[in-house]
Amino acid sequence: MSEFKWVGKAYPRVDGYDKATGMAKYVTDRFFPNMLWGAVLRSRYPHALIKGIDTSRAEASKGVVAVLTHKDVPGLNAFGIINQDQPVLCKDKVRYLGDSIALVLAESKECAYSALDLIEVDYEPLPVVSDMEDALKTNIKIHEKGNIIEHVRITKGDVEKGFREADLIVEETYYTPRQMHTFLETEGGVATIDQDGNITLFVGSQYPNRDIIQIARSLNYPMEKIRVIAHYLGGGFGGKDEITAQILLALGTLKTGRPVKIVWNREESLIAGQKRLPMKITLKTGVTKDGKLLANKARIIADNGPYTCLGSAIMKLAVEHVSGPYYVPHTDLEGFSVYTNNCIGSAFRGFGATQATFAIECQLDLISKKIGIDPLELRLKNALRDYQSANLGHIPSPSVGIADTLETLKNHDLWKNKGYYLKTDKPYLKRGIGLACSHQGCGLGSFFPDYGAATIILLPGGRFALKIGCPDLGQGNGTAFVMIASEVLCCNPEDIDLEIGDTRSTPDSGSTSASRTTYTGGRAIIQAGNKMKANLFAEASRMLGVSPDSLELRPHCVAVKDSDLKVTYAEIAERLSKENRSLECYARFDWPTADLEFKEALGLPHFIYSYISEMALVEVNVLTGEVRVLKAVVSPDAGRIINRQGLEGQAEGGTVMGMGYALMEEIRQVDGHYMNKDLSTYIIPTAKDAPEIETVPVEKLEASGPFGAKGIGEAVCNPITPAIINAIRNALGINITKIPATPEDIYFMAKNKFDLLRS
Amino acid sequence: MEKVTVNFTLNGERQSITVNPNLTLLEVIRDIFELTGTKEGCGHGECGACTVLLNGKAVNSCLVLISQVEGKEVTTIEGLSKDGSVDPLQASFIEAGAIQCGYCTPGMIMSAKSLLLENSNPSVEEIKTAISGNLCRCTGYAKIIKAIQLAARNVKAGEAGGEV
Repeated sequence: MSEFKWVGKAYPRVDGYDKATGMAKYVTDRFFPNMLWGAVLRSRYPHALIKGIDTSRAEASKGVVAVLTHKDVPGLNAFGIINQDQPVLCKDKVRYLGDSIALVLAESKECAYSALDLIEVDYEPLPVVSDMEDALKTNIKIHEKGNIIEHVRITKGDVEKGFREADLIVEETYYTPRQMHTFLETEGGVATIDQDGNITLFVGSQYPNRDIIQIARSLNYPMEKIRVIAHYLGGGFGGKDEITAQILLALGTLKTGRPVKIVWNREESLIAGQKRLPMKITLKTGVTKDGKLLANKARIIADNGPYTCLGSAIMKLAVEHVSGPYYVPHTDLEGFSVYTNNCIGSAFRGFGATQATFAIECQLDLISKKIGIDPLELRLKNALRDYQSANLGHIPSPSVGIADTLETLKNHDLWKNKGYYLKTDKPYLKRGIGLACSHQGCGLGSFFPDYGAATIILLPGGRFALKIGCPDLGQGNGTAFVMIASEVLCCNPEDIDLEIGDTRSTPDSGSTSASRTTYTGGRAIIQAGNKMKANLFAEASRMLGVSPDSLELRPHCVAVKDSDLKVTYAEIAERLSKENRSLECYARFDWPTADLEFKEALGLPHFIYSYISEMALVEVNVLTGEVRVLKAVVSPDAGRIINRQGLEGQAEGGTVMGMGYALMEEIRQVDGHYMNKDLSTYIIPTAKDAPEIETVPVEKLEASGPFGAKGIGEAVCNPITPAIINAIRNALGINITKIPATPEDIYFMAKNKFDLLRS
Repeated sequence: MEKVTVNFTLNGERQSITVNPNLTLLEVIRDIFELTGTKEGCGHGECGACTVLLNGKAVNSCLVLISQVEGKEVTTIEGLSKDGSVDPLQASFIEAGAIQCGYCTPGMIMSAKSLLLENSNPSVEEIKTAISGNLCRCTGYAKIIKAIQLAARNVKAGEAGGEV
């Protein structure tokens, strides 16, 4: 029997009822009396100088209340978490088609959008930098300082020695596409201002507390007069981590004194929103003839688009993860993050590890084929073990579960009885099974302060309020928080009132990102819960006249051990109220960090990782090039499972998202212009595309985690992409190095091998 | 723009509105009746987040001009739960973990409702087809399909005399 009452169970979401009935108010569902609509004028050119902006005709247009430009930005006309290089409203230059030039505020959405056409901008187009390799060489500068945002190189051992000792060296270059988060609720929200100048935003955000800093800086406005609420959110996946509409919302309400709503339409979201940044990854990998990895050399270029956002950090994570969850004695890993005039690259579930995983896991299958070793055995042979040095030379926290996840796949029927699953009854249908591993650094990494905080309050009736900053983007951290609190406080989840994502009422707990939220928030909740427990013991000890040492928690009460004597939480709350007192416990948790720090690559390395292996069964129609993913088996190691239903939900959703990345998703750009701008041309998987998915978790406990848990929200979308590509390789014997592998690509690659029409 | 008067039934109640003829049913539902359970994900009929029932059939309300609902019956997600009791689909979506961010959920439930009204015992393929116009980015669809199967089973058990 489980030692826990709640932890590890499949518990339905705490917000399920509100969401299933349509009662949940999302940030873009808010309407206020006298509310204005805002619309943003975007750039006409991917790269141009602005010679003049004339807003007079738009201002005179019916229903328009104000048209704001760079002149109206009171503070710093720039934002960015890492570098403040993105203008709030462009003044003299545009650098991509999503750039914001003016904000129209009007009585209706229709008035606002139709006035955009009346704004006259005098542009002087500049040559466009659209290729990431060109960005390194060209003398066309997107920003004055040049096109390189950051360059890092980290070595371990002696890579040349590794290559000399290797029996086989494999070199290959891999290309990944620009993927869109495609959260169903686009970027946006609503802002209001009261008579005292207090600004409140309901907005799509993964870190409301950090938004306040950026809004205050650009508005030159006191931080304490800004409140950001990020609840409910229709998805994030990283795409709402950096500023989207926040500063313009606050500016609009400040300038007009009226509520302002801005919701990017789907096309704006596609053009202006942040994306998973494309990478070109060249690997040179040395291996012994019996499959031992000796050396890995990588050169990574990341197309970050026109502004830094979180892009340089993402490139660094690609460097950190590009040798996979394996022990490799010699590595030489280099990365460039470059500006281009393409779409902005920023955070997206996996944060660079996704791109890196695709490259190294395809590389391993190439090696497996060349030296004739089973791909699973090759990975198992090299799987990182506890206390081994990882790819940057550091020792990760000893919760390294990668070998356990591989063993899980090895023992699965799909792997053991491959022959059965690979059979088809049509000569033009070819089946294949592929697998891949991945890991994902949890948290912000070395150097950056990384903490969580939570407050628990005893409420009348013996209920508890649980307050924590990290918003729930949809992945279910809110439910995990409630389950953890219920476990510590010995009550039911229904007895906890959860409040999240509100800078006024919830403590700053860092961002909902980086596979950090359940871990960090969970630890803060346990600490706050233990404080509450000690306080409840003290009160009960006073009320019952016994020593606190003789007490224990039982459901909804504090009881004397081995006795029926008890006092309920409700009774304690009532007593406190009569005495004019209350119980409120706050706790902060700071992350443990690795034994190594790189001054030239801040943020690297991580200390705690989640691990995962996944395999896919695919069926390829060689007449059409179409790939159907029939089945996926995913084995995640997230440490202790908090909510079984939540974990499966993450594994299933991540698998389908990674499947889209492998086979269909790409924002195609030519000279900075977009070739696909809507959901008819940017295709994500539907229910008809999604495979049957089986989740078989392993629990390699993380000593520092809440009940042993680690983060898993990102790793789940990493391995499926190369697993599918490796399965296609297994089916057709073709080497795919560029994703998405569309039917056209596969058809032409397979054409010569299987010319069924001719025969 | 000359306004039009449109009479229709919304969640069981008769309504008469006089509005610009270029308004979509989605805009009327959200902006005039403030029923925000119906979501806008694309405005082009590509994502299904705005799905409602029109005379019992699932439609993308962003593609329906308001005059087209004259004399018809419109049901939104709010119309499925009355007096504190929820539809078997709403209950099964909660129980099966078919909800994550939840932004696609109302539209997804309305498509499933339309299916179950027509076919009380759908196969997995029929379920997939019925919701293939509803995009979900969080769940990978697996638990949504399970939830619809569960609702179908529960409805059948209810009709056989048991409690739903």
